[in-house]
Amino acid sequence: VGLAAVVGSAAVISACQEKLTSPAECPGLCPGGPQTLFETVLSPLAGLDSSFHTYVAPGQGSALLVSSGLAASEDRAVYRFVTRQDSITVRDTARAYTVDSVLITLNLVARDTLVGGLKVMLFRIPPAVDSTATFESVDPALVDANLIDTIAVPDSVHSGEIKTVLRGSAVDRAAIPPGTGGVLAMGLRVTASAPTGIRVGSLAGGNAATFVSYLTVDVPDTGSVRHQFLSRATEFNTFVTQNRPLPDPTLLTVGGDSSSRSILRFELPAQLRDSATIVRATLELIPAHPLLGLPGDPAVLEAHAVLADLGAKSPIATIASNPLFVVTDTIPDGTTDTLRLEVTRLVKLWQASTDRPPAIFLLLQPEAATFTRAAFGSSNPASPVGPPRLLVTYQLPFPFEIP
Amino acid sequence: VRRVILLLLLAGTPAVGAAQSSQFGVRGLGLPGRSLSVHALATGGSFGLFDPESSLNPAALAGFPALTAVFSGMEDFRHVENPAGTASVRESRFPQMAVGGQIRRYPLALGLGFSNYTSRDFTLATADTVPLRDILIPVHDTVTSKGGLSDLSIGVAYRIQEHWAVGGSFHILTGTNRVSAHRSFADTVYQPTSQNSEISFAGVGVELGMMRSFGPRFAVAAIARSDGRARVDRDSADVSRVDLPYTFGLGLRWQVRPKLTLASQGLFRTWSGANSDLLEQGGTGADNTFEVAFGGEFTPDVRRPARRPLRFGVRYGSLPFPLVIGGQAHEFGLSIGSGVRFAQERAGIDLGVEHVWRAAGPYSERAFLVSVGVTVRP
Repeated sequence: VGLAAVVGSAAVISACQEKLTSPAECPGLCPGGPQTLFETVLSPLAGLDSSFHTYVAPGQGSALLVSSGLAASEDRAVYRFVTRQDSITVRDTARAYTVDSVLITLNLVARDTLVGGLKVMLFRIPPAVDSTATFESVDPALVDANLIDTIAVPDSVHSGEIKTVLRGSAVDRAAIPPGTGGVLAMGLRVTASAPTGIRVGSLAGGNAATFVSYLTVDVPDTGSVRHQFLSRATEFNTFVTQNRPLPDPTLLTVGGDSSSRSILRFELPAQLRDSATIVRATLELIPAHPLLGLPGDPAVLEAHAVLADLGAKSPIATIASNPLFVVTDTIPDGTTDTLRLEVTRLVKLWQASTDRPPAIFLLLQPEAATFTRAAFGSSNPASPVGPPRLLVTYQLPFPFEIP
Repeated sequence: VRRVILLLLLAGTPAVGAAQSSQFGVRGLGLPGRSLSVHALATGGSFGLFDPESSLNPAALAGFPALTAVFSGMEDFRHVENPAGTASVRESRFPQMAVGGQIRRYPLALGLGFSNYTSRDFTLATADTVPLRDILIPVHDTVTSKGGLSDLSIGVAYRIQEHWAVGGSFHILTGTNRVSAHRSFADTVYQPTSQNSEISFAGVGVELGMMRSFGPRFAVAAIARSDGRARVDRDSADVSRVDLPYTFGLGLRWQVRPKLTLASQGLFRTWSGANSDLLEQGGTGADNTFEVAFGGEFTPDVRRPARRPLRFGVRYGSLPFPLVIGGQAHEFGLSIGSGVRFAQERAGIDLGVEHVWRAAGPYSERAFLVSVGVTVRP
């Protein structure tokens, strides 16, 4: 029994768990002293913060812009549909048809939900419209004489399909006369109870407008052969902007119809690069003017880690491949406040790999598909506002060796 | 034999257990170990200089009756108090292992020992606020250390006639502190930090010891030891040197009755030699230490002295590394224990319980140290 008790005691003692944590106060129980934090401010390398433009051409973004009186910009959208042939082959014979009705469908991506009475007006424009179109060449065609239809968008509809069906004599407004190539092109403008804008679907977004014609074919049949429809997708789309602002070379521009991007290059001090533990790094950007956009539809400012510094064509981390190294923040409409992006992981990346340049690429999403265009102060001496700042909070190695 | 195997397995089960010290081992090199077997711990350490299973006196190796292996484990149940609060902590450690025995046909005994020289195991948690970007941010810090210095010794004892034994030993002092510091912020936009490092130590020491019996009932033991200087590296980079102490000890043993033996010992260590080194590195320095112990062993059956003896002891001493400059800590301990031998005395278990009080200014702690020792004589 005695032996069993002894063995039992040994087993109990041997199986005990450790619990080491106890409270402490400095300096008595702080070997090495308290953990000290430091702060520093880094500025971009002078002359090496630059903006690059036209990464995505208007119309190649995920949406098209249409606006009326919006402070950010005045825009018109343009769709050109795939050619609709003027006959249909039935039983090896090309046969004429008559159009009974037409369905035109648009995709509303975003609107200012606080502005009611939204109407989208569709106008026929010359079918030769292409990427050379300008506001000045498109807008004069958006007159009543060319009106196809007006789509009244209920205030409760914030996004999704909006459509119009033309029947009877209204079909003539979308008619494609024989011998004109079978192409329908249309321009969009909007009206509402107040200045506003909308974003509508595009080819790149996979939700561009569609044009469906319901036909009666000239055949002695009463079934499906006689009653057919032709669906035509968008072949080309774009939007045009009135008085396109040219990017100011003294500023860092991101977004806008030019889909500008900017790169900021820094030099990480040796103390930070070698041995510091980065606790927080914040990129501060000072707007050069109010950052106007579509109210209720904020753009997203993204800061990307640069994988290799090749200037405008630098490969960057993407949300799909390196989501940890992309920082995002929304830009409220009209803000003039300094924008702050927490780029701690990006700065830590500069420490972790000497192959990664200490640079940040800024861009605005959705590119070439947002009303917002941001311009920030740069290191250029002519910049009207101050340059970006990188605020870094860090710890130096803890002096463990202090007994 | 099965019991021996079973006990060895039991003792070896928590292989990941680590040494632990106390809040008074946070500074300097940590809390000094005692190099005592469970047998000697149960007597407050008073028999340490005469105990071959301890690693205090190389001359005591002459007391091994045969080849013997000793392994001890300790569980520490501690209540800590300091200005930051209180906590109950619990740790496991394996502070002492030894193998030794007589060399046939020679009056020589040889021994190998593995002792805890200092242990610096702790996890300290603090809370504070720090001003960052003009805002006070609450932070929580923890500093953790695991490890310490171990004392690997090889000793030899030589018996001269019946009453004298002298011995010498060589000590390798080595060990690593795996240290880490963590900080988390109440504002999660500040990323938590974690830093790790290894502080390693290396040094050597030599020791001389003697035992002298004056008849069958009285004996005296003494030691002198020098541990030289320890080299301190951080992550393999040489950062400093620390003077280690000289140790002087004297012990007395007196068999008052056939059933009762009393013993006492005193140890003095010149830790103040490390004072300037530690201060120079930003530490709180070091002070000389002493320890006095008194204890006894009561044997109910003198014909079978290994059958459930009652051991008891008391000790008082000082600790070398103050938490604040000039605030040397002291400790007081009461201990009791017993043991059994079985398998024709080829195996045995010793148990010891010590209640320890340590204090220095507003810092104090009390602990129950429960020790189990396993002895095997194959």
